[in-house]
Amino acid sequence: MSASTETANQIDTKGIVVGLVGIYIAGIAASAEIPYLAFLAGIGAVFATKMGADAVRRVCSYGIGTGVPSIGMLALGMGIISAMFGLALGKMYNAVFIGPIVGLVIALAIGFVVGTLANKIIKLNIPVMERCLMEIAGAGVLVLTGLSVMIAGSMDFVVITEKVIATGYIAPVFILGALGILHPFNASLGPDETQDRTLIHAYSCGAIGMTIAGVCSIAVLDPIAGIISIVIGLAIWYVTFMGFVRLVKRDAGAGYVGTGLLPPGAM
Amino acid sequence: MTDIVTMLTMNWASIIGIVIGGICIAVGVHFVPVGGAPAAMAQATGIGTGTVQLAAGSGLTGLLAAGYMYMTLSAAGVPGISEVALICATGAVGAMIMITVTMIVGNWVYIYGVGVPPASAKKDYDPITGDPQAPYVAAGTVGQGLPTVCFVSGAMGGLLGGLGGSLIYCMLMWVNGDPAISSIFAIGVFLVNAVLPSYNIQGTIEGFHDPKFKRVPKAILACFIASLLCGIIAVTIPGAAMLGGA
Repeated sequence: MSASTETANQIDTKGIVVGLVGIYIAGIAASAEIPYLAFLAGIGAVFATKMGADAVRRVCSYGIGTGVPSIGMLALGMGIISAMFGLALGKMYNAVFIGPIVGLVIALAIGFVVGTLANKIIKLNIPVMERCLMEIAGAGVLVLTGLSVMIAGSMDFVVITEKVIATGYIAPVFILGALGILHPFNASLGPDETQDRTLIHAYSCGAIGMTIAGVCSIAVLDPIAGIISIVIGLAIWYVTFMGFVRLVKRDAGAGYVGTGLLPPGAM
Repeated sequence: MTDIVTMLTMNWASIIGIVIGGICIAVGVHFVPVGGAPAAMAQATGIGTGTVQLAAGSGLTGLLAAGYMYMTLSAAGVPGISEVALICATGAVGAMIMITVTMIVGNWVYIYGVGVPPASAKKDYDPITGDPQAPYVAAGTVGQGLPTVCFVSGAMGGLLGGLGGSLIYCMLMWVNGDPAISSIFAIGVFLVNAVLPSYNIQGTIEGFHDPKFKRVPKAILACFIASLLCGIIAVTIPGAAMLGGA
């Protein structure tokens, strides 16, 4: 097993705090005509992705019988409803800044209800189901809101509708957000799965989402802000992906060769 | 100024529609023959992928068909009940086309590529054609390919999934009148209602003749509560136009 492990509480705290702070700094800076800080919302989304990936890791280690991808799609399904409700509510009451927090609270509520339904009615009987689905739904909201704020440069529901949803950029945001949450554990699962390897993979998946959202924001927000986001996203991706490769080599029990041939012992 | 309470009282009919749509999806998922990874290796009856991928694939195809029909019909004004029925029928046919094409091409691969006869391991005789199944199930497997009963069941699953997805889309269009928000919301509600039944199925199911199909009531109850919650949240979101946007 790996030397460094993070508890669920530490990961949730980091995910929610960094996620919300990133979204708020990006949103407030953009409303003050400084769109160049939009990448901070993307960094918030990366940490939220990690929070979701860790929850997927804990709940799927019980064996849910339907494959890991289902839970990632569930995360974003619950996430999109809550995120849009939060942003719309903020707009309706002329307080756009309550949007992300309302979205998060609604997501936690939906996650708890769906987790309870899965445990009590469908009888999956997974002890961590309620908590993990709350975390997954919360991660879904923060990823969606983070990447949407990053693309639109605003927390205003009307602006996000025009710049992210009507343009169709919501589709890559949706699927990359889901992939970032479901893929790390799906790729790393097995008896030799280690938490640090799965989570560093979550960072790199989140960074891919951030980079693509940066590309989308070139067209709708500001070219320079978009390029800043792309460069930072690529840098995070490079560092974390190289870290992932290093951990894969560390965990490869039978050794490895870099040429694609089988290791000597296997031939 | 739009208010949540006003939105809820104005749109109670849409909540009912969303709940009916959610239950249609939940039941439809149980009809689709899902084989998962074993079916991908021709060791189980059904299509070789997960429940959610199949349900989402057919549902989204249905949503595209329904969206096109909605656009055509709404040229003459906001669609009423009879137009909604037409739109839902279009969505159902779209989803059925997607799922049947997947099944027929999958069967070609199983029959001509892998070289196995489609056979069900859950029944000794096909409930529709009466053909014997047991002699054709390869030793050590739980059936392979898509026999007639699974194909028919899958088409019915596509019908229900597409119907439910299009109904949710129409209900949301009544509320907010914004195709982009409605479709992305319909996808969200669709995914929640497709994943919960897939936990009920626990991996693989052959169709309505599978013993696991008896678990449907549990999924209906779970999806009723989940879609009610999603519906209440979804109808309180006005379109961007109502909020003073473009």
